[in-house]
Amino acid sequence: MTKISLKDIYIRFFRIGTLLLGGGYVILPLLQSEIAEKYDCITDDDVCEYYALSQSLPGVIAVNTAVFVGYRLARTKGALAAISGMVTPAFLSIILLANLLTQIVHVPFVQSLFAGVGIGVLALLFQAVGEMWKKSITDKGAFLIFLASFSALLVFKVFPIYIVISGIILGIVLGYLKGRKP
Amino acid sequence: MILWELFWNFFNIGVFSFGGGYATLPFLYHISEAYNWYSFDDLSNMIAISSITPGPIGINMATFAGFKTAGVLGSLIATTSIVLPSLVFIVLISKALRKFRENIYVKSIIYVLKPLGCGLLAAVGVNLFINDFLSESINLYNIAFLTFLIILSLRKKLNPLFYLLVSAIYGILTTTFLT
Repeated sequence: MTKISLKDIYIRFFRIGTLLLGGGYVILPLLQSEIAEKYDCITDDDVCEYYALSQSLPGVIAVNTAVFVGYRLARTKGALAAISGMVTPAFLSIILLANLLTQIVHVPFVQSLFAGVGIGVLALLFQAVGEMWKKSITDKGAFLIFLASFSALLVFKVFPIYIVISGIILGIVLGYLKGRKP
Repeated sequence: MILWELFWNFFNIGVFSFGGGYATLPFLYHISEAYNWYSFDDLSNMIAISSITPGPIGINMATFAGFKTAGVLGSLIATTSIVLPSLVFIVLISKALRKFRENIYVKSIIYVLKPLGCGLLAAVGVNLFINDFLSESINLYNIAFLTFLIILSLRKKLNPLFYLLVSAIYGILTTTFLT
């Protein structure tokens, strides 16, 4: 069984970060093979629980999961090692590509390529909204909240942060009402 | 100072974005409108590049937006500040995980924020659609192609790589043969 060291945590999350291609769909199996099978103190169930919890917390889901696992393995230092490992591949690949892209973006061939990709991005967003919809629109109330935030941003151009803060306040009120009912 | 504003904006994304990588988009979109650090078209390219490179999409987009704003240092600041809230929240929560999860206020807030995040992302999608399709002359081929992709996505959940590859080929073919 692997001894827990910060270097080891970093390397494992670096690997997971590298293999996260095209969205976070593969993170669960990666966590199971890289973390749950390698460390005694974390089981498959733990990993699934951390992932589920991470989805209902603010921020990037993969990063949240990394903090949970890293903290469990080696407290705050472990969390830092896990975050750094998770973020490094993303950081390096984007810096390289962004640099390249700014140099070639004016080439006509590249422009026509990205004109097409713009349409693909719309389909991608449509699919992402669909995924979130399935997980979140569970009843009429949730649908009304969807409509409210959708039109607040699209029609009334309210700052997204204000929309989220209003949502948190609404959540607190709902929680208070539920808590009072027996 | 631009670096401080960069830090503050991405820190806020870390605190307020709910629902995964794409949920950071409404905020990135807002930043592009408020600051002109990058354009609306950049945003579309950012989504595409971030979807096909290693790493979580949210981190990729933050790194990219930071780079557009202030080079490598900008990337470093954007990435650090977007993960900082996660670190703080979760280290705090980890000490009392069960209590947190079963708290009625936490449950209610999550119940509200999930559809709310979905609504925000949908609004960004519509905005990008307006930007791509309605600002220039309406192109029937593009609309047909988008409809085709959306029907495909309704039938089966597809890898982002697929959409981007097919649409890149479409982009090259249409500019070669139609203009």
